[in-house]
Amino acid sequence: MQELALLMDSGCLDARDEEFASLVKQAKAGDTAAFDAIMIRFERQVLGTALRLLNRNLEDAKDAAQQVFLRLHRSLHQLDESRHFASWLYRITVNVCRDMQRVRARRPSLSLEEVGEVAAAAGEDVIQRNEQRGMIYAALARLPERERTAVVLRDLEGLSTSEVARIMGCAEVTVRSQISNARVKMRKFVIQRQRRPR
Amino acid sequence: MSCAKFEPLIALYVERDLPESEARMVEMHLEACPDCREFAAEMRESQAALKSLRTDFVEEAVFGKVRTEVVSRLSTPRQTAAWPRYAVAAMLLMGLCAGWLWYTRPAASLKFQPGIAAIAPPPVTRVSALPQRVPRARVRPHRARPAPAFRSEPLVVKIVTDDPQVVIYWLVDQNGG
Repeated sequence: MQELALLMDSGCLDARDEEFASLVKQAKAGDTAAFDAIMIRFERQVLGTALRLLNRNLEDAKDAAQQVFLRLHRSLHQLDESRHFASWLYRITVNVCRDMQRVRARRPSLSLEEVGEVAAAAGEDVIQRNEQRGMIYAALARLPERERTAVVLRDLEGLSTSEVARIMGCAEVTVRSQISNARVKMRKFVIQRQRRPR
Repeated sequence: MSCAKFEPLIALYVERDLPESEARMVEMHLEACPDCREFAAEMRESQAALKSLRTDFVEEAVFGKVRTEVVSRLSTPRQTAAWPRYAVAAMLLMGLCAGWLWYTRPAASLKFQPGIAAIAPPPVTRVSALPQRVPRARVRPHRARPAPAFRSEPLVVKIVTDDPQVVIYWLVDQNGG
């Protein structure tokens, strides 16, 4: 992921990249192998982001990734060479995950206590190994959708604030406010959890 | 500025998301405020915990499954709903039936359909200087009856008034004009 972020910062992962442009051209012509190569190149970005936005639900994240790549395939003919492909794909991923969350909002989500119970049922060693991650995911899940998206893209995907703003379609100052609010809430959540007697 | 107002700035400061001027202001406050220093330390701690998720990994097999599913869905032709095709076919059939009924209608039935008679052109076409505002009731009998014989001579009506100097001649077109 870090390598991906570095490549993106250097502007290597856009449609101007010759190799990538060639792959897109072949995929547009109906070459399935070329489209498969595009998926391999971006699958970690798409699935990883979906996993974090969808509260680490792997089945939902797989569904989201499939939808993103199907939507990509339908939009291949619209791909503009000047467009940053990775950012565009992030935007699609965020939109697909947001739609999925809205559809599945009726599903009851786990409270912090329930998360603890699930972890306890899994065994003591699993608790120790996964407690922190489970706690962070629980904290992420409790954030409002926009704040969660902003903090996932900025702090976990390592994108710049301006890039996050471009993906989310809002002003940079708005993104900074969302990130700040999310971090303050996360800190409160983590500190409370760590200070809780065991 | 109170400590509560510094908290959102500290949340950005710990990840270097603040512009230089604001970062300097936060640093000055942190030097003077132990509570905010503790807040900043906790913020760094929770950020470190959050970033531990960056190393979360997904098994390679999962990626393969996603790709396989996408490729299989791309190779399967999209199933579109059949009802729009049936609706278009039904409309075409209805149009054809309506056209056939209209084409094979009995000619005499026209006189019972004032709407159709009204939009049909008059049977006798003559250029006239007078505006041809003919009431519908007068047109209809012409459609049903055979066309009258054409009379070329106009009828002259002479009207004599009390004043011998004034005589009115009224030319009447016998063809209905």
